[in-house]
Amino acid sequence: MEIVTQKDTNVKTHPPKKSLSPWAMARRKFVKNKLAMTSLIFLITVAIVSFLAPYITTADVSRINIGQMSLEPSSDHWLGTDKAGRDVFTRLLYGGRISLLVGLSCTLFVIFLGTLIGSVAGYFGGAVDNILMRFTDLILNFPFLVFVIVINAILFGKVNGLWVLILVISILSWGGIARIVRSKVLAEKENEYITAAISIGCSPAKIIVKHLLPNIMSTIIVQATITFATMIVAETGLSFLGFGVPQEIPSWGNMLNSAVEPDVLQFKSWIWMPPALMITITILSINFIGEGLKDAFNPKSRR
Amino acid sequence: MLKYAFRRILGMIPMLFLISIIVFTLAKLMPGDSLSGEIDPRNTNPQYIQEMREKLGYNDPLPQQYFRWIGNFVQGDFGKSTRFKIEVSEVLSERLPNTIMLGLTSIIITYILAFFMGTYSGRKPYTFGDNLIGGLNYLGLSIPSFVAGVFAIFLFSFTLGWFPSNGSVDIGTTEGTLEYWLSRFHHVLLPALVLGLLSTASYTQFLRNDIIENSRKDFVRTARAKGTPERKIYNVHILRNSVIPLITFLGFDLVAIISGAIITETIFTYPGLGQLFLQSVGTRDYPVLMTLTMLFSFLTLVGNLIADILYGVVDPRIRLD
Repeated sequence: MEIVTQKDTNVKTHPPKKSLSPWAMARRKFVKNKLAMTSLIFLITVAIVSFLAPYITTADVSRINIGQMSLEPSSDHWLGTDKAGRDVFTRLLYGGRISLLVGLSCTLFVIFLGTLIGSVAGYFGGAVDNILMRFTDLILNFPFLVFVIVINAILFGKVNGLWVLILVISILSWGGIARIVRSKVLAEKENEYITAAISIGCSPAKIIVKHLLPNIMSTIIVQATITFATMIVAETGLSFLGFGVPQEIPSWGNMLNSAVEPDVLQFKSWIWMPPALMITITILSINFIGEGLKDAFNPKSRR
Repeated sequence: MLKYAFRRILGMIPMLFLISIIVFTLAKLMPGDSLSGEIDPRNTNPQYIQEMREKLGYNDPLPQQYFRWIGNFVQGDFGKSTRFKIEVSEVLSERLPNTIMLGLTSIIITYILAFFMGTYSGRKPYTFGDNLIGGLNYLGLSIPSFVAGVFAIFLFSFTLGWFPSNGSVDIGTTEGTLEYWLSRFHHVLLPALVLGLLSTASYTQFLRNDIIENSRKDFVRTARAKGTPERKIYNVHILRNSVIPLITFLGFDLVAIISGAIITETIFTYPGLGQLFLQSVGTRDYPVLMTLTMLFSFLTLVGNLIADILYGVVDPRIRLD
C-alpha cells in the first residue's frame, strides 16, 4: 500500500512526459544531423561576416587603384588585388553581401508568389484553378535564362539596378513552387477540419492562412531552401555573363566574370578562385541544409 | 497512346501562340527595328527611318504586324541580321551544327557515365565506391555550370593541357578529313562534359535508387529462388526495369541543353547558337536575338512536351488524367 502511494506521488511530482510537437521533433532531428548543422553554421558565419564587411575591412571597395594592379596575395592584401587594383578580400565580403541579399530577396518573392497562386488555385479549384494553372504552365515553359537576358536588353539604359533584377528573376521563377503548393493544398483540403472550418463560417482567406498553410509549411520551408540555392546560382550566373548585378557593384558573379580573360584565368588564380569557391561551398551547404530539413520533416525517416 | 500524344500536342498550340505574342511584344519593346533588320541602325536621318517604317508596315495596327511577322516566321523568313548583313536563317544554319554536336556529345557522355556509375552504385549500395559516387553526384548537382566550366578550363586546358580552351576546331585543318573531325571532337569534349554535369548527376542518382528499389521486389526473389546467377539478375532482370524510366529525362535534357549552351558556349568561346545569342545582345543584333528567343522558347516547349508524352509511355496510368 505504502509503495503504491509512493509511486503515485512520484507520478505527481514528475508529470508524464508530453509527446513532442512535430516541430520540436523536426528540430531535434535536424540538430543531430552533423552535415546539415555544419552547413548551417558555415552559412550563418558567411552571412554575418559579409554583413559586417564595413567593420571588418577598411579598404575601399570601389576605388580603382592603378598603383596596385594584380598584386599576389600578401599580408597587406590577404587575397591579392584584382586587375583594377581593388582588394579581393574586401570585394569578396561585399560581394557575399550582395549575392546573399539578392538570393534571399528573390527567394522571399518567389515563395510569396508561388504560395499565393498555388494555394488560391488549390483551394478554390474549378475555373480559378484552371486559369491560374495555365498561367503557371506558361511561366514554366519560358526558358528562364533567355528571357531574363532579353528583358535586360530591353531595360538596358532605362532602369538599372538591383531591384529590377530581383523582380525579373522572381517573376520568371515562381512556377515550380505554385505547382507544389497547389498539389499539397489539394490533398490537405479534403480533411475534415477544413470542412469544419467552412461550416462555422471562416472566410476562405482565413482558412488558407490559418488552417491550410501551417499544415504545408514544412514543404514550403524545404522548397524555400532549394529555391535559395537556385536563386544564388541565377544571380551569380547572370552577373558572370554580364546581365545581372550592375558591374560597379561587387557580387560573387561579377568577380568571377574576370575569369573570362584567359590571362587572369591562367596566371592570376587569386582573382577568380575565391568567388568561385565561395559560390560552390555556399550552394553545397544550402543543399545540405535542404536535405537535412527534408529528412527532419519526414516522419518516416529514422534518425 | 496515340490519342494521348495527340491531345498533348493540341494542348501545346495555345501555349505556342501565347509565347509568340510575348516574344513579339518584347521585340516591339526593343529599341530600333528588331523584327526585320531592314532599317540600318547607323542611319539616324529621321526621314529615312520614317520612310522605312512606312515601307515595312510598322505604322500598321499591331495585330496586323503580328500576323505578318508570325506568317514570315513560320515560312523561315526571320529577317536580316544587322551585324552580318545577311539573312538570319543563314547565320543560324552556320552555327546550328556546332550546337547540335555539343548537345549530342553531352547526352552521349551523360548516358555512358551515368550508366556505369548508376549500375555500380545500385549493385553495391552503401559501400565505399557508392559513397564516393554519391559524393561526386552531390558536387555535380551543387556546382553551377559556369563555375564548373571555369575550373575545367583552368585544370584541363591550362594546367594539364589535355584539351583546347576555345573554338570548335583547330585552324589549318581541312574540312572533311579525319584529322578535322578528330579536332572537332577534341574541342567539343570538355564543354560537353561540363554541359552534361548536372544531368549526369541526376541520372546516376535516379538509376541507383531505382536499382536498389527493384532489387527488393518479388520478381527478383523469384529469380534468386530459381537459382539465376546474381550477375544475370542485375544485368537482365533489374536493368531492364530500371533503364526504361530514364528515357523520360530526355525531354528535360533538351531544355537543360538550351540554357546550358548559352553559358557553356560563352565560357569555351564555342561558336554555337548559345554564344551567338549573347553576342547578339552585345552587338545589338536584335533580329538574331528575337529569332533565337523564339527558337529557344519553342524548343523548351517541345522538350516539356516530349517529357510529358514519354511519361505517358512509361507509366500508362498517367494517360488517364
